[in-house]
Amino acid sequence: MIRRSIGFLVAVGTVALVLGASQMRLPAFPSADSIVRVSWSARPERVETCRRLTDEEYAQRPAHMRRRVECEGTTARYELRVLRDSVLLVVDTVRGGGLRHDRELYVSRELTVPSGPARLQVRFVRLDSSQVADESLRADTTGADAWQNRAAREDEERERRRAEAIPAALVVDTTVTLQPRRVVLVTYGDAGRQLSVRSGPQ
Amino acid sequence: MAAPQRSLERFAWRGLAAADRLFNRLYGWRSNPLYQSGTIAVALLGVLIVTGLWLLLFYRLGTPYESVARLTASPITGNWVRGLHRYASDAALIAVVVHLFRMLAQGRSWGPRALAWVTGVGLFALLFVCGWTGYVMVWDEFGIVLAREGARMMDSLPIFSEPVVRAFSGERPVATAFFFVNMFAHVALPLGLAVGLWLHVSRVSRATLLPPRRLMWGVIGLLTVAAVAWPLRMGPEASAFTLPESVSADMFYSFWMPFSRRLPGGVAFASAVAIFAILALVPAFTRRIANRPVASKVDEDLCGGCVQCTLDCPYGAIQMIPRPGERGSKSAEVARVNPALCVSCGICAGSCAPMAIGPAGRTGRDQLARVKEFLRSPELHRGGVVVVGCDRSALALTVAAASEDAVFYPVDCAGSLHTSVIELIVRAGMRGVLVAACPPRDCWNREGPKWVNERIYNDREAELQARVERRRVRLAHVDSRDIAGARKAIAAFAAETAALDAARAEESLEVDATCVTAAGVAE
Repeated sequence: MIRRSIGFLVAVGTVALVLGASQMRLPAFPSADSIVRVSWSARPERVETCRRLTDEEYAQRPAHMRRRVECEGTTARYELRVLRDSVLLVVDTVRGGGLRHDRELYVSRELTVPSGPARLQVRFVRLDSSQVADESLRADTTGADAWQNRAAREDEERERRRAEAIPAALVVDTTVTLQPRRVVLVTYGDAGRQLSVRSGPQ
Repeated sequence: MAAPQRSLERFAWRGLAAADRLFNRLYGWRSNPLYQSGTIAVALLGVLIVTGLWLLLFYRLGTPYESVARLTASPITGNWVRGLHRYASDAALIAVVVHLFRMLAQGRSWGPRALAWVTGVGLFALLFVCGWTGYVMVWDEFGIVLAREGARMMDSLPIFSEPVVRAFSGERPVATAFFFVNMFAHVALPLGLAVGLWLHVSRVSRATLLPPRRLMWGVIGLLTVAAVAWPLRMGPEASAFTLPESVSADMFYSFWMPFSRRLPGGVAFASAVAIFAILALVPAFTRRIANRPVASKVDEDLCGGCVQCTLDCPYGAIQMIPRPGERGSKSAEVARVNPALCVSCGICAGSCAPMAIGPAGRTGRDQLARVKEFLRSPELHRGGVVVVGCDRSALALTVAAASEDAVFYPVDCAGSLHTSVIELIVRAGMRGVLVAACPPRDCWNREGPKWVNERIYNDREAELQARVERRRVRLAHVDSRDIAGARKAIAAFAAETAALDAARAEESLEVDATCVTAAGVAE
């Protein structure tokens, strides 16, 4: 009987230990600092170099690929700078995603900073100058080939992409009060096409 | 002889043996939860599936936190079920770890058992990830901490075009798709567990999947009472903009976080993979190369094709094949051992009446030769009790036997003991034979105690012959390190057999002669 009672108590004690370990306090963010979270994704601007094909080159192209003006390019690089009270926290070069860097670029940084009022500056500036092609190279709608409208369509597409791309320079310079154990989010909104600072859900 | 233990196994076994002894005293070997760790884990998996399906009915992907909060607020239909689900997952993790430790300590991790070990480690990992996703489903503060930590590790893999952790940045509400994927993983992983479990036991015959009813319902009942008595409370909802100083966490599934958070995501992920990989590679470290036990062999001339060895083999390593060559008057089939599956337990030697099978040097015939040698020993005290037990229990049984004026006779495993050995000992004039087998669920060869019991008492093939007086033979289950328990069993048996001898002495008295002598003395 005594042995059974001890056995029962041991079983109850074991379950109590399981319950205790199942609901323990785990330190998550013990310091009283804040976090500046810089996070967004956007389409980078495309940087292209265009040139007019010579007649010989033009003739060598297969019929379905004939265009007077051919453009090659990649996406622009951007520099991210984050400063708190004019102290540089981050400087980094950002490129588009993917092996060819032709996908959306993203910024994702979490910076632990002391809490309290602070001047927060975030700059996101294009490094590569967009090589604006000679206007005479742009649209080549001349010619009697079957593809004469293609250049115009591609120009339209290029303009649309440019309009969707992130602006060449984004800057936010603001004074915020960084609360202990709170996050200040710096993000880019497609709608406003500018950086914004938030400290709570929209 | 059984393969010697490695130093790591010996060290682990010492701790395990002490715990076994304690739990045997408290609960008896039939209900010792340490012996049943694997089956308890399976039973708890069943509890998790049943409670999980119930909880799933109330879970809403669009409002995960609110739906769980509603459920938690309902004491009759929700809270205790959630509590039981949670505590059962914790207890399952403990049971799996104990089971893993037990198999390591008993040297059951290598050779033909490597598949069971590797799949066991896989099941452990799956259970762990399953618990992880379960806590993320709740989407409270602990949920987002786990989700962000998981995302941080996943982002170290070069497979995502954007960091997963941005899903929790607060730019926009967390997508319902995330909760769907998480829930899908939480529901699909148990299917993986079922497949893994099937693989895990695929190389053993008659796998025992559930513990004895008393123990199973005892564990489930205790967890249910705990779930009712200590209702769960909801933590604050997950927020991308709040960093809690601490969160209410289940340490069974988050004990690693204080370490991992100090490491870069890639290093933390690689460390987790490395730990499980090392665990999975244990069979490579524990395998015996020099002392590799030899597989059983069949003497086809002696094999009568009775199939008993194929029935008794705990690992399904023996099959019947058509007899090669000239059959003559012999059986159409003979046994054939698959060396890749044979763990050299020797149980087939005990199952074969004509002594045709067994590992080299351990067949029935070898056992008979050895016991004859033992009985010829001049130091042997005729009329004493012989205790037959396995190598693992040698220490406890030798000490206990010596203190009770008995003799210990070691065999590889009680299940490999041929009943002719028992008969020979009894016929040699010994007072009785106590077969001290390990508790059934603790047999290193799985079914040794079960088969020896059947052969002694229930006429299973290779049975103890009827001519052997059963009162002079006893089967006792003794823990391998339990000297006190062994002494008690030996003392009880010795007293009973001594009483038999006394009764026999009385039966053999010549009454007339005794009366005459007594009358003469009186005169």
